[in-house]
Amino acid sequence: MNDVTPPRNLQELFVGFLAIGARSFGGVMPWAYRVMVEERRWITAADFTETVGLCQFLPGPNIGNTSVVLGKRWFGWRGSIVVFLGLVAVPFAWVLALAAFYSDYATIPLVRSIVIGVGAAGAGLFIGTAVKLGRPLARKPGAWVVAMGCLLAVAVGRVSLLAVVPVAAAVAFFLSKANKL
Amino acid sequence: MTLVDLALYFGLLSLISVGGMPSVIPAMQRYVVDVRQWVTPTDFIQMFAIGQAAPGPNVLISGLIGWKVAGVSGAFVALGAMCFPAAVVAFWVAGVWDRMKDSPWRAVAQRAMAPMVVGLVLSGGFVLATPGNVPDWRLWLIAAVSAGAMLATKLNPLWLLGSGGVLGGVLL
Repeated sequence: MNDVTPPRNLQELFVGFLAIGARSFGGVMPWAYRVMVEERRWITAADFTETVGLCQFLPGPNIGNTSVVLGKRWFGWRGSIVVFLGLVAVPFAWVLALAAFYSDYATIPLVRSIVIGVGAAGAGLFIGTAVKLGRPLARKPGAWVVAMGCLLAVAVGRVSLLAVVPVAAAVAFFLSKANKL
Repeated sequence: MTLVDLALYFGLLSLISVGGMPSVIPAMQRYVVDVRQWVTPTDFIQMFAIGQAAPGPNVLISGLIGWKVAGVSGAFVALGAMCFPAAVVAFWVAGVWDRMKDSPWRAVAQRAMAPMVVGLVLSGGFVLATPGNVPDWRLWLIAAVSAGAMLATKLNPLWLLGSGGVLGGVLL
């Protein structure tokens, strides 16, 4: 497991991420793991997990950040760009094709109901993800205050995210420094 | 100047998108549905559904919104604006973060971000399941079922999205 070989050149990197993007139905992260850790052995499992852990808390899509960071590590800024293009190329074409196809059928009530149902299930996946991420914090009152504060402000109060994020970050940082998180 | 507006607003959202797409979904919906009225609330959840059903990172929904609003150039502009600023931050922070390996600030920052991400991702799910701010128990039920199934099983999320579609066809 420990003898890993990073990608040798930009082409190999691009093709690897093209494969991740093209296969990533239902979520990119498991496929990124399978391709980079198990199939191509570019990176160790522990290293992968640590990089993802950092990227989870940066702005931007988790997988996008992870790939930019890894691309940089291997080939500098060129690596970051190549990785990103490889990752989104196939899915981007998929999404536009699906949308174009769907727009022909969107007026059929049953099709609409099904698609809206898919959307609601997708919303449920976000809620499930939040619960998963929140479990380790469940015994910390400060964490409840921050998380519920964000939820009330955004979902109920409809306060702009541009106001919520800086305020929540300041409060959370203060609580964290006072060892309340 | 739809393209410029899209680029500026999505670029701004990109910088505060801690927790990724779920966190900025409410802001995106607010902007394109309520403020600009480029799309309707039900359009929005349908675009989101298409984004979920395709492979790839869910940031692609921003490309779909751009496409709906301003055609193919809109798709590229919106996706680029949503990705690029955050990517620059990630590129830069990765180096700083490595150098801060032993600094206590690193742990403080990480602990601070975690509950925020939880609250924002939860908001994203809630707002999506409540299009137009009108509560609909059927959508909430579908969302609750898929959240529960995700936590209780290891099924590929595609199965959960598919079941959501079936439930939607029956209930809605």
